[in-house]
Amino acid sequence: MLTPSDDRSAASISGLTLSLERDGVRSNVLRGIDLEVLPGEIIGLVGESGSGKSVLALALMGLLPERSNPVVGGSIRVAGVDMVDGRPDELRAVRRDELGVIFQDPMTSLNPTMRIGAQVTESSRNAAESLRLMSAVGIADAELRFTVFPHELSGGLRQRVMAAIAVAGKPSLIIADEPTTALDVTVQAQVLDLLRELRDEFGCSVVLITHDLAVAGQIADRIAVLYAGRIAEIGPAADVLHAPTHPYTVGLLRSRLSLSTPRDLELQTLRPETASAGERMLGCAYHSRCPLAVPECRAEQPPLVSVAAPATATDTETAFENEPAATTATATVTAAAPAPATSHDRACWRSVDDVQGFIHTGVSAASVLPVSVSGAAREPAVRVTDLTVTFSLKTGWRGRGRGGGRTSPAEVRALRGVSLQIQPGEAVSIVGESGSGKSTLLRVIGGLTPATSGSVTLAGGGAQMVFQDAGSSLTPWLTVGEMLRERLLPLKLSRPESQKRIDHALTAIGLPLTVARVRPSELSGGQRQRVALARATIIAPAVLLCDEPTSALDASLAASVLNLIREMRKELEMTVLFVTHDLSVARLMGDRIVVMTHGEIVEVGPSADVIERPSHPYTQALLASVPEIGVLS
Amino acid sequence: MTRFIVRRLASAVVLILVLSAVIFVLQSVSTGDPVKAYLGANASPAAIAAERQALGLNDPLPVRYVNFIVNLVHGDLGISFRTHRPVVTDLQTFLPATIELVIWSFVFAVLLGGIFAVSGALRWRGSSIFRAPLLVLATAPPFLLALGGIVLFYAQLGILPANGRGPGETGPTGFLLIDTLVAGDTAGFASAAQHLLLPAVVLAIAPAIAIGRIMRSSLENTFGADYVRTAESKGLTPFRVLRRHVVRNSIGPGLSMAGLQLGFMFAGVVVVEQIFSWPGIGNYLAASIPTSDFPAIAGVTLVLGTIYIVANALVDVLQAIADPRLNA
Repeated sequence: MLTPSDDRSAASISGLTLSLERDGVRSNVLRGIDLEVLPGEIIGLVGESGSGKSVLALALMGLLPERSNPVVGGSIRVAGVDMVDGRPDELRAVRRDELGVIFQDPMTSLNPTMRIGAQVTESSRNAAESLRLMSAVGIADAELRFTVFPHELSGGLRQRVMAAIAVAGKPSLIIADEPTTALDVTVQAQVLDLLRELRDEFGCSVVLITHDLAVAGQIADRIAVLYAGRIAEIGPAADVLHAPTHPYTVGLLRSRLSLSTPRDLELQTLRPETASAGERMLGCAYHSRCPLAVPECRAEQPPLVSVAAPATATDTETAFENEPAATTATATVTAAAPAPATSHDRACWRSVDDVQGFIHTGVSAASVLPVSVSGAAREPAVRVTDLTVTFSLKTGWRGRGRGGGRTSPAEVRALRGVSLQIQPGEAVSIVGESGSGKSTLLRVIGGLTPATSGSVTLAGGGAQMVFQDAGSSLTPWLTVGEMLRERLLPLKLSRPESQKRIDHALTAIGLPLTVARVRPSELSGGQRQRVALARATIIAPAVLLCDEPTSALDASLAASVLNLIREMRKELEMTVLFVTHDLSVARLMGDRIVVMTHGEIVEVGPSADVIERPSHPYTQALLASVPEIGVLS
Repeated sequence: MTRFIVRRLASAVVLILVLSAVIFVLQSVSTGDPVKAYLGANASPAAIAAERQALGLNDPLPVRYVNFIVNLVHGDLGISFRTHRPVVTDLQTFLPATIELVIWSFVFAVLLGGIFAVSGALRWRGSSIFRAPLLVLATAPPFLLALGGIVLFYAQLGILPANGRGPGETGPTGFLLIDTLVAGDTAGFASAAQHLLLPAVVLAIAPAIAIGRIMRSSLENTFGADYVRTAESKGLTPFRVLRRHVVRNSIGPGLSMAGLQLGFMFAGVVVVEQIFSWPGIGNYLAASIPTSDFPAIAGVTLVLGTIYIVANALVDVLQAIADPRLNA
């Protein structure tokens, strides 16, 4: 195992345990983490929400939220300073001199009332250095940008400003917590490139925290997969991605949507968690979701050991005899990297052989038969003709209402003459980056935003909408049952009848009937999105409008919600409009893909054609930026 | 920014014009004959008729409004029926006392509110010893606080006076604290400060809680903000994080509330001035209302309304300075 405080490492974590209190309930967030961050390496920390990856970042900075009364065991050393028990001024000095941080959302992570230059200078401590850094991270016209406020910059530039702040003072370690998640896909690639350049130029180490294995795969030297506060698997990036040895890593890779995910099969998902928190503490935390679990997994936590030296002797033999691929992979690792910190380790009772054998198991996924869309003879379900929408950004203190008035409003043309026809039963994906007008188009069709000119015609039956943030689109003080019943009011059903409809709707979305008595705050993100779907479909709409319904969900949950939408589309014979920024999701959800940018449609076509033979340069650029891992070896 | 300020001030002027129109209409539809009130109950009908003509009360309404505005611009608010002096003269006499009281009271309110907010948001140990009594006091109506204060500090402890502004001579500014200081009258200054303390604090408590609670919740929101975490990750000291990142971003709601409260304080001053026999416009107004002294009432209303409008315009401008996004 690793020595607890290696002098060479940029940061060294050993035996780290951490519990936090939320609403009076204490939970173990980190449960024994050993990790060395070597000088100049980029290490990707990958995990789903709740894996403890962001808390680990905060712990590295010594910035655990005091209100959660953190209880920390083990040690974290950054630049030789104890970040757990060190004095506040020592920790501040480390943060100032040794650490740089890039957070997820550059809009909220920069002070809105402070000029960019001043914010960089707080870290760099002189204006000339700030200008130099801003140029170094690729901000053109740094002098001009120096005196503007964050809201005057684009998302990509803001994240570059964060990067300038992070590299100020030549830190030995940069912590990037989901640095690309809030950004458009074309900008994501730039920010990842920037991180690698920063490492190359400044020689600092980078801890890249992300939920997406592919993002980590793009720049990380090593990848650590976190599950429920423990490292499930850690090793050189290529090995973890192409020869994963932990069932959870395999599950993540399989449920990840890509441009090559089969379109006509049900999407693969991880099993839902069924073990209680207490049960998870006992054995391997993943056991209730693991398709390979054996009784041992329930009883005892597997230790994190080298792939080359498996947990039990019997496992070793089978692993190396029967699985040449794995042997080669691990052999390369041990040969090329003798240092212990770069070995490929895993925490699993099953053999490498069993896990890697499982990768290739045929999946018995149900086929999703394509819905037959009738020819053009029928009246389109949605007809959008020459639609324009212009928002006026009212200046001044009376900034409400739109148009008119004596003030001269700045205008944003969200849609510039969009025309589109959608056949009954057809599913169309609308893809674009932020500001492309894709959500506005959906909102106009749903009647939530008035059109400035042009027309929208819906052929009977009405439209229902599902939003990105299910949490805020559900009324917090109503139970799920009350919300569903509310939708049934126009039908004037008797109480037992409406109860039957509600039960049916909950069954259809795969939630237990008891959920009807629960308020949204007690549900998980995926469950909330299911409830939102139930609310939209309890009276089957002719058109279902989905606005990025899965972009806030973990990959596996997202896949299960996408499966559900596809299933319901078939069952209820709905027309579906699906807005997304993610081309791989668009490809899976739409018979056709509509690509939008700057309020205009630049490309429309059958999904396969658009993905395989994009004709518009913008579509090509989008496709080129999609992070891909490639097929599992 | 300049455009924003000019527009905001222009709209304040429009509001003041609207206010003057409202006051004028109220005055013209009010019952009670101002001429009778002016000349006394024994005046002959002929004298009343002549006076009506002289005051222009027989002119059509629009003409009278124009006259009203013209006079207003020339600083003529008419003659008080009760004191028989120009209302402007009366206001010059009584307004400074009120402004002095309210300004100090406002300073106390902001200070107390600020301490209330910061100590609460930062969870200073033991700070609830300060917050709890303030919360309790704020539940009492001002007149009760005033009477309680007099009983305790004047009648029982004898450390503070119970009425008036003190023996000092007012000078050019009309603000006793400044005038006595300019005149080198230290005894007068000390006495003036003593006289001011109790009414100012009484008037300050309710606004202090209003400002404090709003500021506390906005401070707490800001402390949870991502950019505060960014600031902490730069290794800044807690004080610097508070000063440069937290305060400016949480000041908006506090400013709005302070502006509103300043307006309310000018309105609420009537009761406090009565109890402390403070020679300000509150007292003046209280004496004018029973005698239907409309020029006086209109004058006071116009002044208070104008102060309210200007204060809120200033708040908007300050908010725009604090948050550059507001005038984007």
